[in-house]
Amino acid sequence: MNSTNDAKELIRILEKSFDIKDFTTPKKNEISIVVEQNNLPTILTYLKDKGWKQLSLITCVDWIKENKFELVYVLFNWSNGTTFVAKTKIERENPEYMSIIDIFPGAKYYERDIHEFFGVKFEGNLDSEKPLFLELWDDKPPMRKDFDPLEYSKRKFPDRKYDVEVSKNAVKDAIKEGEINERT
Amino acid sequence: MNIFEEDLNDTITFWEKIKNIFRGKSLWMLHYCTGCGAVELPPTMTARFDMERLGMGPMATPRQADVLLITGYLSVKTLRRVIYTYEQMMTPKYLVGFGSCTINGGIYYDSYAVINRLDYYLPVDLYVAGCMPRPEAIMNTFKTLENMITKGEANGWKKYVENYDWYRNNQIRSLGEVYVKDEFHE
Repeated sequence: MNSTNDAKELIRILEKSFDIKDFTTPKKNEISIVVEQNNLPTILTYLKDKGWKQLSLITCVDWIKENKFELVYVLFNWSNGTTFVAKTKIERENPEYMSIIDIFPGAKYYERDIHEFFGVKFEGNLDSEKPLFLELWDDKPPMRKDFDPLEYSKRKFPDRKYDVEVSKNAVKDAIKEGEINERT
Repeated sequence: MNIFEEDLNDTITFWEKIKNIFRGKSLWMLHYCTGCGAVELPPTMTARFDMERLGMGPMATPRQADVLLITGYLSVKTLRRVIYTYEQMMTPKYLVGFGSCTINGGIYYDSYAVINRLDYYLPVDLYVAGCMPRPEAIMNTFKTLENMITKGEANGWKKYVENYDWYRNNQIRSLGEVYVKDEFHE
């Protein structure tokens, strides 16, 4: 069975009913499409029926200049070893999207994860706003590109104060006594 | 050990010294691995370096352990559990920080989830430098810790009791609140 021919056939069927903006095969045995946000759940249902039964991952990309979030759904087909990647873009301000736990129940935890790290709300997933990894988080979601981890770390976790002059003098003394060599 | 006339007369000091020698000779280490430094412990425990010849052994529960090892980076989520664990341990208790992450944050100095210095939250008796320290360095640390305990210099647990307010304020500042939320037992 040739999976590349299969993929082209599949894409042709999908294109008949849906508006597919981009179709690529980044790697062998990998198909990637970009779709409208309203079509995505239907496409995922269709793909699950065609053999992409495992949801490997849902993740999110922050395109801060476009002011968009991109949701990436990765599916895997165990019968021919093909990965299917479906992407869609949503608004960055008050991001909200529909949950796919009815199609893939395992999406529950990925959606909680994305809510925690990007702030995307998933309608239909009752648990999506419960904290998963970050306990008592009190700032904006940390994986957004406008979040500054260094500033947060300085504010919350104080660093050790070093006396720079003392360490400089210690190095000078060591050079004088020949314990270490000065770098040329 | 030299026993002097004054020591024999001063019973508290004398018995404290005897106790310290025994404490140094049997250290039970809490088997709780917090970071990547924990990979150095299997070679230290097993045949090549054989930690047990120093009288140290792994122990599963905090209430029976003497030494708590913070092996490497410590995330905020883990720090809550570590504080609970440390407070459960019986005195005298000793805390050893492994690697540069516990000293000044190491490569996680700008992380939103990892603390920068351990002695701000819990009293550290001894640090091991390096990322990661070799098993030899760890054996050396355990030997140093043993000597410190025998001499009565490892007083982190006393410091924690005396300066509890300071430690508590620091913990609250960074963690918000020290309580462990357990979703699976709700």
